[in-house]
Amino acid sequence: MPSLFCRVPIYLMLHIFDYHSHHYVYDTGSGSLHECDERTARYLKGEPVALTEEELSAIAALRKEGLLDAPETEARPIKSHEVKALCLHVSHDCNLRCRYCFADEGAYHSVREVMSLATAKAAIDFLLRESGSRKVLEVDFFGGEPLMNLGVVKETVRYAKEEGAKLGKRFLFTTTTNGLLLDDETIRFFNEEMENVVLSLDGRKEVHDAVRKTVNGKGSFDAVIEKVKKFVRARGDKHYYVRGTFTAKNLDFSKDVLFLADNGFDSISLEPVVTDIPDLAIREEHLPAIEREYETLCDEYVRREAEGKPFLFFHFHIDLEGGPCLQKRVSACGAGNEYFSVVPNGDIYPCHQFAGDAEFRMGNVFEGKLDEALRAKFAESCLFTRKKCESCFAKFICSGGCSANNYHYAGDINEPYPITCEMMKKRVECAMHVLAERKSREK
Amino acid sequence: MIRTIAKPTEKKVTGCGECRSTCKTVGNQSCERITRQK
Repeated sequence: MPSLFCRVPIYLMLHIFDYHSHHYVYDTGSGSLHECDERTARYLKGEPVALTEEELSAIAALRKEGLLDAPETEARPIKSHEVKALCLHVSHDCNLRCRYCFADEGAYHSVREVMSLATAKAAIDFLLRESGSRKVLEVDFFGGEPLMNLGVVKETVRYAKEEGAKLGKRFLFTTTTNGLLLDDETIRFFNEEMENVVLSLDGRKEVHDAVRKTVNGKGSFDAVIEKVKKFVRARGDKHYYVRGTFTAKNLDFSKDVLFLADNGFDSISLEPVVTDIPDLAIREEHLPAIEREYETLCDEYVRREAEGKPFLFFHFHIDLEGGPCLQKRVSACGAGNEYFSVVPNGDIYPCHQFAGDAEFRMGNVFEGKLDEALRAKFAESCLFTRKKCESCFAKFICSGGCSANNYHYAGDINEPYPITCEMMKKRVECAMHVLAERKSREK
Repeated sequence: MIRTIAKPTEKKVTGCGECRSTCKTVGNQSCERITRQK
C-alpha cells in the first residue's frame, strides 16, 4: 500500500511570555527560543515602543536568519502503512485496585484473564509481517499488571528476538509495572531485556495510599517503595521512569515530585489524572492552582540543577536543538496505523486506551487482517486535522494531544480537550525556562 | 536586546520514521539520527 502524504501550510506565530522577570519569545515556525528585555517583548507584541537602532538590527538579523517570524513552510506527516510498535496486554488482571485506573482496575471492562503464549507469539508474527522495511520494532508489555504473567513475557521476548533475527530486525522491549511483584530474578531480567521500565508510584505515602490500594483495600506504598528503590539501584544507566498520577486531591503535587527525588529517584514523571470520578477529576477551576504548582516545581527544579543536584522531570525536558523533524511533529503518535494494542484474546485496538471498546476493535492477530476503514481514519488523523490546534504555540511540541483522551472527553479523536491543553502549555513554558536557565549557566 | 537561547539543528534527513513511537511515559523526543553526535 502506498504511503499517504498530504501537504498543508503552517501558519507562523510568535509566543511571547513572561516567567518571573524573564521575557521569552518562542518562534513557532522555526522552533527557536529567544530571550529579550521587556521593551523588545512589547515591541514584538505590536505595541508602539521606540527601539534603538541596535535593538532593531538584532531583530532584523534573526528574521533574516529565519529564527523570528519564520516564513510559512509545508510539512508532510509521516504516514506509512508499516507497523512499528505493539502494546501487548499480557495481563487483564491486576494485584492493585487503583481508584483512577482507566483500565477498570486491570480488567478493561471485561473478564480478568492473562494472554496465552500462543496469542503473544501470534502478535509478534503479526508485527514482523506488517512491519515492512522497518528494522527496529517496539513491544511494550502492559496490563493490568504484566508481572502477573511473567512467564509469557519472558518467552515472548525470547521468541521475538529469535524470529526478528531471521529477518534482520531487532526489538526494543519496554514495560510498566506497579512494582508489587518485583524480585531479584525479575530485576535481573528487566535489566537484561527491557530498554525502558516504568514504575508506578504517586509520591508521598498518604497520597499514594489514598488511591493505589491492594485487593484488600489497604494502601500499597509500604509494599512497593523498597522494591522500586532496589530496582532503581540495580538499573545502572539504563532508562527507567518512576511515574505517578496526581488528582484533584493533591494539587500540591510538586511535593510529590520532590518527595520522589528526595528518595533517590532521578527520572520522574507525574501526570494529571484522566478520569471522570468526581472527587479525583481535574476540572477547569483547578487550573490556576495547577499552573502555580508547575511554577513552584520549576523553580525548585532549576535551583537543584544549579546546585549540582539535578533530577529529570519528564515534562521539563524539551529538546529544541536535536528534537524530531517537522514531519514527525505533525504526525502525532501513530495509534491505529503504526501502533496497536493487542488484548489477551488477540483482538487488536488502536492503542491501549481504546482496548475493550467494541467500536474500535480493528481485528485479531489470528485473523491477520485489519479494519482498513478504521485504520484510514486514524492514519489521516494528524496535527492538521485538529483545527483547534492551528493557532496554538505548542502544537509542534504536543502534536495535537492524545487521540484517546480527545475521544473520551469530546467524542472525536480530532477534538483536543481544553484542560489538557492548558496544562501542556504551562509545562512547555516551564520547560523553556529550564532550558534558558541551563544555557545561561553553561555560558 | 534579544538573544537566541536555542534553535533547531539543521537535519540532513527528515521524515525517515526511525524515531521511537510516542504516546506510558514528541516534545521530549530527540531525533535518532542527530543523536547517532555520538
